[in-house]
Amino acid sequence: MATKVTAKADPYFIDFPTRIKAIQKEMARENVAVYLGSRLRTLSWTVDAFCPWRSYVVIPPTGLPTAITFVIDAARVADDSWLDEEHVLGYGPMGGQDQVSLLQGLIMPHLKGGKGIVGIETGMGTYLPEGHLTQYEYECLKAALPEAKLKNAHEIVDRLSLIKDQGTINRFRHASRMVDAGHRAVRAAISDDGWKGMTETEVGGLAACAMRRAGSEWEWSFTGGNEIASGYRTGLAAGACTPASRRKLRAGEPLMVDLHAMFRLCLGDHSHNYFLGKATKRQLWHAKNFVDLVKLCLKTYRPGVTPTSLADEMLTFAEERGFAEYMVPGFEHGIGMMGDEWRIGLNDGPFPYWTNPEHVYQENEMLICAMQYACPEENVGFRYENPILITANGCEALSKFPLSIDVV
Amino acid sequence: MAEKKFKYLSNEWAAECTKRFKKELTQEQMKRVTSSLLTVYNNCPDGKTRSVFYKITNGVVDQVSVVEGAPPKAEFSVTADYDLFAKISRAEVKARAALMSGKMTLKGNLVKALRLSPIMDRLNQVMSTIPTDF
Repeated sequence: MATKVTAKADPYFIDFPTRIKAIQKEMARENVAVYLGSRLRTLSWTVDAFCPWRSYVVIPPTGLPTAITFVIDAARVADDSWLDEEHVLGYGPMGGQDQVSLLQGLIMPHLKGGKGIVGIETGMGTYLPEGHLTQYEYECLKAALPEAKLKNAHEIVDRLSLIKDQGTINRFRHASRMVDAGHRAVRAAISDDGWKGMTETEVGGLAACAMRRAGSEWEWSFTGGNEIASGYRTGLAAGACTPASRRKLRAGEPLMVDLHAMFRLCLGDHSHNYFLGKATKRQLWHAKNFVDLVKLCLKTYRPGVTPTSLADEMLTFAEERGFAEYMVPGFEHGIGMMGDEWRIGLNDGPFPYWTNPEHVYQENEMLICAMQYACPEENVGFRYENPILITANGCEALSKFPLSIDVV
Repeated sequence: MAEKKFKYLSNEWAAECTKRFKKELTQEQMKRVTSSLLTVYNNCPDGKTRSVFYKITNGVVDQVSVVEGAPPKAEFSVTADYDLFAKISRAEVKARAALMSGKMTLKGNLVKALRLSPIMDRLNQVMSTIPTDF
């Protein structure tokens, strides 16, 4: 990122000191003396720098937090972050500079007589790089802070990060503009038989090039960057994850283009679908089903809706139109600053660390409107993903690339 | 005539260090750095703990002092046993290797410390030329 956003008038400005004070207020309410964040989402949300290596943020009861990351990346994180270099430390395999020694040194001064509650982040997730404290780290910290109580406290950050501020929303809008640039480049490249001879990986690369030209920092998804699928791979049963393969594009087959861009830790994620060269009547029937469902879904999202109520409505429509068996029965996934990708809302559902199906959407929440249509027996599938902002009366789809399934 | 030897961690040794640092290291070699370092020697031969405080201003080592009791605050502090420091002062062991072995601990910002490590190597190199009784 390199250039920090410090001017309040900048559309991408986020008031990080106020975020930290909000965390500290919640810490005081919950009697947490020090908060130790280790999840990628917490690091992004508090440090405003991408932390690809194992990192931590120590938030004292008052004053500035200190981030700790692998020493080879500490100067870069400090350069990107709103925190100064005194508050971004590097760890390494040296006496007194290993992870646990540094954490102990930062935490201990805030524990009276070594006693008090240290808020930690633990749990379970479908998202691999979640960053929960490991058992080993937990045991080491317990040994280093023998009188302290380590208590799971990630709900503090989850609660505070649920409703998005204007700077975050604007960053998301810009990331979606970058994704749209990627889609325009792909459409231009594959049109007029341009797809002939191409592979899925090549399509992913073309999109990446265009998005990087537009300023995207990386194709952020851990599902292989840009997810490109063609032919039978678009319709894998109950599937919604397709890292690009070396498969060559073929006439008469569907092509699914799911692009990911990142702008200042905020994420673009939009999928568009094509048929290559030609399409049968039956394929176009599938396509119309899907496009109509997406339109209905985007009309339905608004405050007060829940994942369950929305799924009921969409699946009823699909049943009426005779394609319910082709729908993967989920219509969303969570989204926030880098690292906050899967669960929607808080950890308050019937299955721990999964989206609560009764979560009630509120204004200024964001999510990915996500739908997957999969008909494995006909080797046809489509995906729709688009970050949406819940508005007062509906939702704003951030990617503006026109919704359609085109024959190219 | 036998060369004069300085007793390790004596005030005379500290004064000789200051003198030689100033004479043998240019401000450019010292990168015009301003910093302070405390080396804490545990298990000295008499069983005591001693510290050596180094103050560097704009690339000039303007203070090396041996401290018993409460040491002054410094940007960096390095703690190890007397024997290990003695080996470093004789240039038998590199400070970096000592840190990586875990037998020496560093307090302070590691990123900055790594930037300063060549300077510390230069100081240790000069120190190793001082005839010393360990």
